[in-house]
Amino acid sequence: MDTIIIDGLSFALPLFIMAIGGIYSEKSGITNLALEGFQGFGAFIGALSAVLIANAYGTDVENLFYVALLFAMIGGMGFSVIHAVLSIKFKANQVISGVVINILALALTTFLTTQINALVFGAASDKFRLGVSERFTIEGLADIPVIGAVFTDVYPFQVIIIVIAIFAWYVLYKTRFGLHLRASGENPHSVDAAGVDVAKIRFSAVLISGLLSGLAGMCFAYSISAQFSSSIYMGYGFLAIAALIFGNWKILPTLAACLLFGFAKSGGTFISQALALPSSFTDLFMILPYVLTLLLLIFFSKSNQAPRALGEIYDKGKR
Amino acid sequence: MSDYIVEMKHITKRFPGIVANDDVSLGIKKGEIFALLGENGAGKSTLMSILSGMYEPDEGEIYIRGEKVQIKSPNHAANLNIGMVHQHFKLVDDYTITENIILGMEPISKFAGLFPYVNIRNANRTIEELSKSFGLEVDPKKKIADLTVSMQQRVEILKVLYREAEILIFDEPTAVLTPQEIDFLLGIIEGLRNSGKTIILITHKLEEIKKVADRCAVLNKGKLVDVLDVKTTSINLMAQLMVGREVSFESEKAPAQFKEEVLKVEHLTVKNEDGFEVVQDVSFTIHGGEIFAIAGVADNGQVEIADAIAGLTKASGGKIFLNGKDITHDSIRNRTETGISYIPEDRQRYGLFLDFDLSTNLGAKQYYKEPFSNKGILKSLEFEQFGSRLIDKYDIRSGQGIHTQVRSMSGGNQQKAIIAREIELQSPLMIFVQPTRGVDIGAIENIHNMIIQQRDQGKAILLVSLELDEIMNVADTIGVIYNGRLQKVASSESLTTNEVGEYMMGARHE
Repeated sequence: MDTIIIDGLSFALPLFIMAIGGIYSEKSGITNLALEGFQGFGAFIGALSAVLIANAYGTDVENLFYVALLFAMIGGMGFSVIHAVLSIKFKANQVISGVVINILALALTTFLTTQINALVFGAASDKFRLGVSERFTIEGLADIPVIGAVFTDVYPFQVIIIVIAIFAWYVLYKTRFGLHLRASGENPHSVDAAGVDVAKIRFSAVLISGLLSGLAGMCFAYSISAQFSSSIYMGYGFLAIAALIFGNWKILPTLAACLLFGFAKSGGTFISQALALPSSFTDLFMILPYVLTLLLLIFFSKSNQAPRALGEIYDKGKR
Repeated sequence: MSDYIVEMKHITKRFPGIVANDDVSLGIKKGEIFALLGENGAGKSTLMSILSGMYEPDEGEIYIRGEKVQIKSPNHAANLNIGMVHQHFKLVDDYTITENIILGMEPISKFAGLFPYVNIRNANRTIEELSKSFGLEVDPKKKIADLTVSMQQRVEILKVLYREAEILIFDEPTAVLTPQEIDFLLGIIEGLRNSGKTIILITHKLEEIKKVADRCAVLNKGKLVDVLDVKTTSINLMAQLMVGREVSFESEKAPAQFKEEVLKVEHLTVKNEDGFEVVQDVSFTIHGGEIFAIAGVADNGQVEIADAIAGLTKASGGKIFLNGKDITHDSIRNRTETGISYIPEDRQRYGLFLDFDLSTNLGAKQYYKEPFSNKGILKSLEFEQFGSRLIDKYDIRSGQGIHTQVRSMSGGNQQKAIIAREIELQSPLMIFVQPTRGVDIGAIENIHNMIIQQRDQGKAILLVSLELDEIMNVADTIGVIYNGRLQKVASSESLTTNEVGEYMMGARHE
């Protein structure tokens, strides 16, 4: 039971922060299917920095988690510039741009990982070994029955994510920037008429989604995978998109959706282990979150309300 | 140097294929209501878009309070205390009134002296006071999506006032309002003038100008015709200047020559989506050379009768005969082929492909036939030739001829295009539903003449209109509908406007 909560949370929170990135982008009016690519590319940059630094200074990669996290955020943000430029400056179709970015990220990072491994480390490998970030347990609180699991074996990034999430909520709903951002996704003409630059707002929003996705990707790499390889492209980015849609583009309901996915995933693993099934069957349980997505679609699709101008190319002239 | 708060000198603005403003010069005095009168496409909106910073003029100068300025953006215009109340509202549906008004000029407070936030509570209070002081009472916490159109317009006005505008431009503000709302709005506009604001009112409705405006500039095809003192000028003269020729408010027509029976409707019943009978047991006939008009207050079933005949809705009972053939259960295309032309009420939704060009729209009812297509392949040359011919024949005006995107055309010309297309089908029956809705005076006269011309050529005409004047003016036979039932059918000579009005209200029936 405890492991379901512990593993569920450590999966759900990175998913959540990535979904928040998606909310920023989509609330500003830019459809963002590129979260998957952002998190992968961000994690690649983070992992690469960590491995290189460890190599240069002879430190242990496991201890370079925070450095990696920082670089991953920068990497994700840098990569998201492609989506922002294509869909805002060049008014390209946002769905195509997003899909292509995902393919590009997978191909580019896989290629670069093998090349760098061969050139720098002289090893024939398609992954960067990272290890698992350290964890901590809050004594006392951890002894509370059931809820105690929340405070047991916590990754530090979970705390970071919660702090950032609260800040993201504050920016989106309480500040001038947030008011402009949400209006851009509902009716960009009104924002324009109010003398605010719609393109600038949307550009920032997409960059924020890249930054938060990079953060999420790095958390995945330092926890469940313990490495960076093409296995980071497991579709978590799409799961985050599903979560934000089920969450109706609102932060708190999105958290609920992410937790549901998290517990579905850890629950699936737990059941397959408890039943001592062969490993080919554990894969079957891994699809649980995705099956859940399909089921939830049936119930949530009706009441959903996407930002009104989502995915629409904004053209000043058209009324 | 002058007592003008706004002066525009020799303004010229060109768009591809059209000169929207041609050497226009005018001055507006502080504290007056200055009306800009002109037909659709006369250049009123362009001129004011230049003043509000949306476009820059190709030639000419603007002086605000005697100082020469170049207005580069709406923001810049706002800094000069110029604000525009747009015809198409620019509001965020999901936001409250306050949030919409303060957008771009939010009051900021600091939370714990550190985190800046938008102080909605203060803003709510400010907006409430502002709205009260101008008699525009609104509840600042309500969402736009829950407001009526006229309330949304108040929000647009408040938005401009919040930005401390001294010069307010209203772009066709009454186009979307009911008569009562129009009266209220005109009252507000007068109130604003009395509190020292300068008002520019863009409109093509003469009665409104007569009611509130002090002076009025008339534009025609981009040129300034005259600036008039409203009190000493008659409505007729204004109309004449606006259209560029004399306008008769009554159409001339020869006595009707009835021919054979074309349309016969027997005991027609139509149900709406809820299963409610909106048309009950309606029977009438129309002959060639006859204009049969259905008069009635909106939503009494008249549109459903027209739709049932054209095939857009199913008749749940009764029969419809066209030239003796039972078409009650025919498809729409079969009916068109048998001989129905249809000019729908909502021309933009049902009458046109707004994003297609004019020639495609003109050929849209015949595209599947020779010579427009051959074995399923469209022949663009035929469309273009056909389009060019119709543009000449029916005087359809547009920026780029047959290649004009229909969306960019004025309402009157859009309607002319539809009527041209439908007349060219040479159908023995033509159905007009609200043919002059939202169309300016010159075009209304034009459309009435076209209808009468078709009658004189022996067509049977079904006219559905909410405008009683139009019906009295054009119809040969009048059927009055109330609550889905025809109350009275009689020749138009035998009825007075008052009688028709009484039947329409259900106060009289046979």
